[in-house]
Amino acid sequence: MTTISIVLNGVAATVDAPPHESLASVLRRLGMFSVKYGSATGETGAAAVLFDGRLASADVILAPQADGHEITTVEVLNTANGLHPIQEAFVATGALQSGYSAGAMILGTMALLEHDPDPSEAAIRDMLSGILDRETGYVKPVAAVRRAAALLRGEEVEPCVPIVLEPMTDGTNAVVVDADDAGPQADPALPRLIPSVDVPELAVVGHAEAKVDGLKLAKGNPAFTDDIEMRGLLYAKVLYSPHAHARIVDIDDRAATALPGVHAVLHHRNTPRVKYASGGQSWPNPHPYDQVSFDDKVRHVGDRVAAVAAETIEIAEEAVRLIEVTYEVLPAVFDELEAMQPGAPIIHDEADTHDIHDRDRNIVHHFEAERGDVNAAIEAAPHVFERTFRVHQVQQVPIEPHITIAWLDADERMVVRTATQVPFHTRRMLAPLIGMEVKRIRVIKPRIGGGFGAKQEMLIEDIAAHLAIATRRPVRLELTREEEFWASRTRHPQTITFRSAVDDDGNLVAQHMRLVGNTGAYGTHGYTVQAVSGLRGLSSYNCPNKRFDCDVAYTNIPVPGAYRGYGAPQALFALEAHMEDIARGIDRDPLEFKRQNWVTVGDELDIAPHIGERATDDAVELDEYPKVHSSGIEECVAQGQRSIGWHRRLDPAWREPADRPHIRRGLGFAFCMHGSGIPFLDMGGCSIKLNDDGSFNMLVGATDLGTGADTVLGQIAAEVLGVALDDIIVYSSDTDMTPFDTGAYASSTTYISGTAVLHAAEAVRKRIKERAAEMLGVDEPCTIELHDKRAWAPDGTSVSMEELALHTLHWEDQEQIMGTASYMSPDCPPPFAAQFVEIEVDVQTGQVEVIKMTMAVDCGVAINPITASGQVEGGMTQALGYAHCEEFAFDSGGRMLNDRLGPYKIYRADEMPDTEVFLVQTLEDSGPFGAKAVAEIPKDGVAPAIRNAIINATGVAIDDLPFTPERVWAALDSA
Amino acid sequence: MYRIDAYHRPTSVTEAVGLLAEPARLALAGGTTIRHDGGSTPTEVVDLQALGLDRIESERDLVRIGAMVRLHDLVGHEAVPDLIRRTARSEMPSTLRTIATVGGTIGAAGSDSTFLAALLVHDASVQFADGRSVALSSVLNDGLATGELIVAVDVHASGTTAIAGTGRTPADDPIVAAVARSAEDGVRLALSGVGPTPELVEPGDLDRLEPPGDFRGSSAYRRHLAQVLSTRVLQELS
Repeated sequence: MTTISIVLNGVAATVDAPPHESLASVLRRLGMFSVKYGSATGETGAAAVLFDGRLASADVILAPQADGHEITTVEVLNTANGLHPIQEAFVATGALQSGYSAGAMILGTMALLEHDPDPSEAAIRDMLSGILDRETGYVKPVAAVRRAAALLRGEEVEPCVPIVLEPMTDGTNAVVVDADDAGPQADPALPRLIPSVDVPELAVVGHAEAKVDGLKLAKGNPAFTDDIEMRGLLYAKVLYSPHAHARIVDIDDRAATALPGVHAVLHHRNTPRVKYASGGQSWPNPHPYDQVSFDDKVRHVGDRVAAVAAETIEIAEEAVRLIEVTYEVLPAVFDELEAMQPGAPIIHDEADTHDIHDRDRNIVHHFEAERGDVNAAIEAAPHVFERTFRVHQVQQVPIEPHITIAWLDADERMVVRTATQVPFHTRRMLAPLIGMEVKRIRVIKPRIGGGFGAKQEMLIEDIAAHLAIATRRPVRLELTREEEFWASRTRHPQTITFRSAVDDDGNLVAQHMRLVGNTGAYGTHGYTVQAVSGLRGLSSYNCPNKRFDCDVAYTNIPVPGAYRGYGAPQALFALEAHMEDIARGIDRDPLEFKRQNWVTVGDELDIAPHIGERATDDAVELDEYPKVHSSGIEECVAQGQRSIGWHRRLDPAWREPADRPHIRRGLGFAFCMHGSGIPFLDMGGCSIKLNDDGSFNMLVGATDLGTGADTVLGQIAAEVLGVALDDIIVYSSDTDMTPFDTGAYASSTTYISGTAVLHAAEAVRKRIKERAAEMLGVDEPCTIELHDKRAWAPDGTSVSMEELALHTLHWEDQEQIMGTASYMSPDCPPPFAAQFVEIEVDVQTGQVEVIKMTMAVDCGVAINPITASGQVEGGMTQALGYAHCEEFAFDSGGRMLNDRLGPYKIYRADEMPDTEVFLVQTLEDSGPFGAKAVAEIPKDGVAPAIRNAIINATGVAIDDLPFTPERVWAALDSA
Repeated sequence: MYRIDAYHRPTSVTEAVGLLAEPARLALAGGTTIRHDGGSTPTEVVDLQALGLDRIESERDLVRIGAMVRLHDLVGHEAVPDLIRRTARSEMPSTLRTIATVGGTIGAAGSDSTFLAALLVHDASVQFADGRSVALSSVLNDGLATGELIVAVDVHASGTTAIAGTGRTPADDPIVAAVARSAEDGVRLALSGVGPTPELVEPGDLDRLEPPGDFRGSSAYRRHLAQVLSTRVLQELS
């Protein structure tokens, strides 16, 4: 132990620490919960503090290095009332999504503005360069710093509201965009909103309300899973497989168990073998159940072997090293096509996994669906095109890794506080594994530092719970950044072949999509992700004959699972690339060709009912097929064309700049269409009750992971109940407290959970109106209106919500006014979008630089345009990484070579392309206040748009992702 | 991965050299490249922060940069040549640049470091605690021996410079970067990403390079980049 004296937030502090402890860890011990774990190597910046006034990652600083120095955390700004102007600016601009790195960004702003009260954009982006917050695309954080600077300079600032634009189209027909019209020139952080005349002006919905969780995030208050302290807490560590494929012949835990401070060592010999599938999905979960908590076989590098609970992390790590495992190493296979070849190693040869389609060929699922007769149509068609695309493995990279704390409460029920998108699925799936009934388990989801699908999984909760039972102590298990790469979940690699036929008029007459998905060592989301690929790959365009053939293969790569977009980004890369190639093949303008064939209002989505978990046999012709009821695509295209300067794509002088001989420029487009939840499957519940002061508690099972879901759902309730958003106290989600919700996935929260909120609020409103009518002496309760936190009679008399609450709770015919509702949707209205990009290619080196990304989205009515545009900015930034720079690199044994941020490259603030986001309103009748989904569609178009822009720039088409320099150079070289 | 068992903070260079003479002790400069979150190799660290090695001094063409100067301090320092300032910025993001030091960066000898390539073309020589002055290229080639302590690096500030690199994204560590400096005594060219450490290269020797390949760039691709980027920086200076 060394004794360390620091000045912490202006106050002298002394603390004892072992020499290896990081400054970040010591600060958290001192109660500075704003200092977050993102990695141990500093690249995420989540643990950045001010060290003698300079922004520095406290996770790479040893605590003794700080002895004698001044340390500042965001807590220094916190007062009993309100927010510091910098914190206020971050909330007002919508710069905090999950807010996991809020403390670091706010401190960096403080340090920057101290030296430079009016920083340039470059200086702001440089300051943010060490804080990875790609969920925001860095657009609104830059605006927040600017706003904070203005506030501190004492200037008046404008409210953060959308830039309202005139429509360029009549909503239905295409227009020719004037090349001289540069469009609006305004702060890119403000969404461009194109209103629809169909949409009425409302009091709360449609407004840029500040996020309901803004205060706690901006202050760094303890809100996340790890931000609690528990007496007797034990630390868990997992022993992971060093081999891609091996049998565990022997496991000797004696030395580990004997190590002082070790309380439990679990592995396959002392843990019940209960089969499950870890994907967080509705009961009964897609089969096969091909996992157990600890197996006697490992199937990828990073597969679980054993777990330890000990007094400290260091003891747990030492114990993990002391477990002696004897492996029989087996041959491994990593490529999905090779895995299906005869002679490939059989990955799931165990007898107790059922429902594998073809075990000997590693084919876990095979499915197909057809409309019409594809082969006959292709045979008869004048033009047939075929192309194969390969897409790769990437990771969600939530800055908060997976973390779970599990303990037995006073009733000896299992409480699991965990970073999850699916608390209710987790409770149900955990029960059999730990031998407890569902009623004896409580899952709590606090604030989450991003998930993006990685947390749509019952990933580590069983380990923490097993250890808590074994030790009867609280147990904390957190993945490191490295473990997050190879021991959590990733995006499925796929091989996709499209074969399409068009007639002489450019109409698609047949489309055949053949897909081989790589689900790695376990099935989890393998069935449903590839199903969504088929659904999305065959839904964007009208075509009388469609066919989907799909194999899902086991391999020995780290396990793919859910990742925002869920199979659509893969499919739409292939589809939008293929459609571009067809257009060029028949000498048509690609956008015109796509427009001729894309689905719009009134068109049937005819393959949708025949693919997926609840698919109807394609031999059965349904009476009715889902149809498109709203589409703003033409307005999206027009706004996007103007934003990107689309006319330049045909200008040779622009494409080949004379002063930069090795540069070629290009523009690219992709048509995007997604869904809003899973029809007939996703369900969300909500309960609302009235409090004495006229405020309302709203409990939702919906899972806000930083998306702004709590805010958007609160706005829906506030609108119905005629109160301000801050009169709705939103709580999500806790399996003991809140109604059920399937969870945060499939772009379902606004549309499905939002409709549940709408219905629950309507139930409360009905009762309020009845009681108000009595109080006001009105005969017809339906004539009462709620607004401005009062109930109004037609004659203008009114009663306040507080008076009504006190009256009904305490005075007369006492009752608790409350309402509950849940909602399951038969519909899945598609949001549409036009994605445009501008790029430059260095034709000598193959380096692609993305200059600008524009996305114009029709998400129906954006309940909150600021959070909606934040979703688009962050989604596009993740999509950019997928297209451009992120990839898993392995050695020949299946060990990941780049399990660190940097070598695994995600975009940071000082290298971002320009972005511009347009929200094109349409009124979707089936959605709450006209809303459709917005969360996932930004993932769909960037990769194909860049590919198509590379064609525009160089004439070369590249069919594999990502567009890293050597791949592009090789393609240019061989062209 | 180290298991750090003890921490020392000497207050003089002599004391530091004495401490570092013991085996299993590691000089701790900034600490950005030392993994201390677990591991089984027992290690003691000797923190160099209190040795007064954090000064930048210049006299005519010569700039002496203390080993404990943080990269961040170079970025804004007027006496420091532009290329060194620029590459000090690109070497690390904001939250690590304030921690990482010049001496530590030399000790780490990262193959991708454009900052080290910039020092090389500025004719850097490394000053050791025992008074020796050794060309940076030799230090990178030979590595640091146990107990050796860098106290400063001297660079020549004059001349015009150029830089070109190819990376996956604009702020990525370049797969290969070429930097060049033209001064009175001739033109120097240095490359990163073509060998175990950045190195000075004669333009005529470019086709003799045999870069190790990795997932960001094969050997052949790196050789190609070395040619293209070297040509660009040399043309810019001619």
